[in-house]
Amino acid sequence: MLVGAFACAHTPQLIARPETEDRELVLRVHAAFARVRRRLAMLRPDAIAVVAGDHVEAFFLDAVPALAVYAGAEAAGTFGPYEYRFPVHEPLARAVVEQGIERGFDLLYTQHARLDYAFFVPLHFTMPAPAVPIVPLHVNVYLPPQPTPRRCHAWGQALGAILGARPERVVLMASGGMSHYPGTDRYASPDFDWDRRILDTLRDGRGAELAALTGEELDKAGNVELRTWITVLGAVGAAKAEVYCYEPSWHHGNAVVEWAL
Amino acid sequence: MNEMHYRFPPASAYPLNRCLFALKSDDAFRARFLADAKAAMAEHGLDAGSQAALLASDRDALVARGAHPYLVFMADLRVRMARGTATFEYF
Repeated sequence: MLVGAFACAHTPQLIARPETEDRELVLRVHAAFARVRRRLAMLRPDAIAVVAGDHVEAFFLDAVPALAVYAGAEAAGTFGPYEYRFPVHEPLARAVVEQGIERGFDLLYTQHARLDYAFFVPLHFTMPAPAVPIVPLHVNVYLPPQPTPRRCHAWGQALGAILGARPERVVLMASGGMSHYPGTDRYASPDFDWDRRILDTLRDGRGAELAALTGEELDKAGNVELRTWITVLGAVGAAKAEVYCYEPSWHHGNAVVEWAL
Repeated sequence: MNEMHYRFPPASAYPLNRCLFALKSDDAFRARFLADAKAAMAEHGLDAGSQAALLASDRDALVARGAHPYLVFMADLRVRMARGTATFEYF
């Protein structure tokens, strides 16, 4: 069953803070992560299914899946001095692949690929003790052509049905967003107004409206990663979002959100 | 339609993107690059223009040559982290 849903920023400056970043802002985002961690302890999940956009880490141009499921025994990666490793909930990962295919989603699955920091950063701050296994779910956000928001939402609806019918207590966590433009000439000018309008929509329980966004709109708003949120929105339906924090830095709209189910 | 920030990577830029991917994600390659950048770039068969743009950390030139902006961004960050030219507070 699906017992909780969250969305978390994962910008690497939250874990490796350069001097360019406002320390107090970073700590406020950490406080929101700590709140998620406490909520996860209350929700007692058997697994956390993390929907994240791979930063060209597991998948380079040699093979670019739109949607992928990590179904190995464990998932590991590195980022700078961090070496991380998480057990994978294998029966759940396998069920997602098998039933996802059955439902018409032509998923890629892998049993060995490097785990991107997009998965690691939120878990570094929010994983309850004792740790629970994860299921990494990839959505292509950076290598065009990406899956459409409508397709992500439909995949989220399928995920909600698949996870909802399982005996395990499962939390869905989107990792990514909000507005930022890494590597582009707009890096220092995120679209915070756009983010705030989206957050208002989510607070109202109207997240399904995001399925009608286009890939061009997401790119223009610096929100290519919002595909991970839109995926989770497919699973949470009309649940209203509680915004734990929205902290705009000079280059990034950092948001942490929960949908109570 | 306005130009997208993230565009389909041209196949002609595959060697350049491969090199940036390695700088970002392959610790051993990054170490070779820091020791001898020219030799490391030659491993990926980069042409003179791409080599010059990468040595100069010229984002605009790299993107104009088909480099993916995110790869340019993170390759540069990882090189700076490895060089120790930027300091970080790790949490």
